[in-house]
Amino acid sequence: MVSISSRRRRTGSALGLAFVLCAGPAAADWSYKTAAEPYQGVTIRVLDEITPLQETLATLVPQFTEETGIEVDYELLNHFEVINKGQADLLSGRGYYDAIMLHGFQLGPMLSAEVLRPIDDLLADEALQSPEFDAADMIEPAYSTTAAFGDKRYGLINWNYNQIYWARKDLFENPDEMAAFKDKYGYELAPPETFTQLRDIAEFFTRPAGTTLAGETLDSDFYGIVMEGVKGGSTFLSLWGNFIKSYGGDIVDADGKPTFDSPENIEAIVAWADLWQFAPPGMAEYSLLDVPTVMGNGIAAQAIAWSDFVLGIDQPGAAPYAGKFIYAGMPHKEGMEAERSVEGETSVTAISVHSEHPEATFLFLQWLAERRQQEALLEAGNGGVPIRNSSWALPVMQEGELAGLFSAMEDSLKVIVAKPKMPDFYELYDVLTGISQEIGLGALTPEEGAAKAQAAMLDICETCLLD
Amino acid sequence: MAAADGTVDDAAVPAGQPAKAGPAWWYPYALIAPAMITFVIISLVPFIYTIFISFHEMKFARLGDFAGFDNYTALLTDSRFWNSMKIAGIFVAIAVPLEFMLGLLGALLLNRPLYGRSILVPFLFIPSMMAPIVVGLLWKIMLAGSWGLLSTNIIEPLGLIGDSSIFASPNLALYALIFVDVWQWTPFMMLAFYAGLQALPVNPYRAAAVDGASPLQSFIRLTLPMLAPLLVVIGLLRLIDAFKVFDSIFVLTGGGPGTSTEMPSVLAYKMTFEFWNLGEASALAVIVWLIFFAFCNVFYQLAKRKLNAF
Repeated sequence: MVSISSRRRRTGSALGLAFVLCAGPAAADWSYKTAAEPYQGVTIRVLDEITPLQETLATLVPQFTEETGIEVDYELLNHFEVINKGQADLLSGRGYYDAIMLHGFQLGPMLSAEVLRPIDDLLADEALQSPEFDAADMIEPAYSTTAAFGDKRYGLINWNYNQIYWARKDLFENPDEMAAFKDKYGYELAPPETFTQLRDIAEFFTRPAGTTLAGETLDSDFYGIVMEGVKGGSTFLSLWGNFIKSYGGDIVDADGKPTFDSPENIEAIVAWADLWQFAPPGMAEYSLLDVPTVMGNGIAAQAIAWSDFVLGIDQPGAAPYAGKFIYAGMPHKEGMEAERSVEGETSVTAISVHSEHPEATFLFLQWLAERRQQEALLEAGNGGVPIRNSSWALPVMQEGELAGLFSAMEDSLKVIVAKPKMPDFYELYDVLTGISQEIGLGALTPEEGAAKAQAAMLDICETCLLD
Repeated sequence: MAAADGTVDDAAVPAGQPAKAGPAWWYPYALIAPAMITFVIISLVPFIYTIFISFHEMKFARLGDFAGFDNYTALLTDSRFWNSMKIAGIFVAIAVPLEFMLGLLGALLLNRPLYGRSILVPFLFIPSMMAPIVVGLLWKIMLAGSWGLLSTNIIEPLGLIGDSSIFASPNLALYALIFVDVWQWTPFMMLAFYAGLQALPVNPYRAAAVDGASPLQSFIRLTLPMLAPLLVVIGLLRLIDAFKVFDSIFVLTGGGPGTSTEMPSVLAYKMTFEFWNLGEASALAVIVWLIFFAFCNVFYQLAKRKLNAF
């Protein structure tokens, strides 16, 4: 089957280059103050998702007003609300918000509804171009594959949400456990590089109450792995981005035709579903919030999780096991390292087609994405998800207690691409996440599930990509 | 005294007092105008607009062309819709009779001399006073797999439900939701029926006792007939409400696993706020309304004729 990932990567790189070229020469006397003069006193409204990262970012926003005289009403809502309220505002034509944070998967439906304003004219406007923006520094292929569609760009990337491998350091460094693992599997206990190793570790650490773990008798059952399993969360995204694509599969081909029942996909689903036997019995209820909670409470040995949610757990005092974790890049299929794929939800803040202040809004988005703001965000010490390559070199990323987490993020972001732009993404996702959950629970075999998913996809769209 | 035609009956006016002029023809309309205007604005206009949308293409909140019955056809040929109706049917068929019977039984017990009743009654209000979303969260805390209070201390150690948790089990999730609904609404039914029992006249019971009627005979021949209007109304309201349950499902299962707990309300929500297919979602809303409109009419006529309930 032809993967659409590599084609997108090439397109993305080309668009990234085009962006750099059209950015034009830096004007020596350019400043936000002069660029914002026509928009003094204007108030723009920006909707973003609330996590500890955005709360930190919110503290930087007043500096923009100070520099430009443009007032910013920066509103933060939770993941589900920012999707619902943001989309409702865009689709209804109400136009309350000038710019709205959109996850990569939202772009297909929103582009299809033609409610996002292309920003090519703003990017090309020398009066608005900051010489400090430096598009070449943005992490690729995430940036181009997210913000660009066709020959147009929509918004600037702001959040590179990504998944990482997460495990209990105290268990991985326990001499008894290390020796027992080597005896049983014939290789050293370490963060897995392959899905087979991931399974071995999951199997090894799955133990019933009354047995020992790292020399301690377990009061309750302990599990080898935890992943997201809830219907409606990002369960299927994880299966798709981490497993299916790493096995060389995808849910659509280059023409957008559904390919869910391909042999590669079934092989990947088998590997993913096999892990459920080593997971807590309630995993089918676990959302992206529950996975870190389970890890923080020491119920499981390893996890596949969103790195930004890890930040809320691996902080002093935040959870009983905070500070006892290691992180790594996502495993891959044996012999297919080059095809390795990691689930990411690269997100943009896009300007609404209904915005009455697109220039002022663009200035704000550009200001947010600039290096100095990104550095200030990360150096605030509350974690962060870089959007710039230069951010990886910051001392806080290299030397802090979370250096291992940032290293894992960097590893993930080397291969993360945006979701393909699908107008019917929500219908597809709702069906596919339900079927995934049924497969994980054993209600459907991988083959049955893949056949059901293929039929369901064909019911929704014969060609699923946005033209 | 007002005559049937709305005029004042002069004969009824006490001697020595001037006859009062009748109210103007518009006076009754003016009195009900605030309520009617509110009703029209809040209920009727959105309802008519929903019907209007159901006959149009409407994707992404944009009204498209007239679609005739296309949205209805699409919905009625969609197995997911029929699955949701089946789920709702099972939910209502189990939850409402259970709540009804347990409520009536509880009311009869409360109606007997009971120590501490004045303390117990306010506590019984608590479940039905809780927001459904809070009820959902509460039972999530109790029954969530791996960390729920009951799950970790009773259900999982005893291996009662195998490798899954209740809300993650395709076979048990719906029954767990029914249990939550019964937990929330049985006390309300109990209190409503108890209030009805308190209002019943005592003389028929005294007469029945004199005639040697047993408690069971008194219940069947006196209590049930006298309580029938209340039982019918409360039962009907609960049935309608149970069919529309949304919040607890949304919190506890999201309609899953698979589509095993996806009631029409959850499907309509998804069609509206996730798929943005407002045409089909409106058709679903109209169909559900039609079902209930027909059902309530039949129910009303039957209750009126057979039970003399209205």
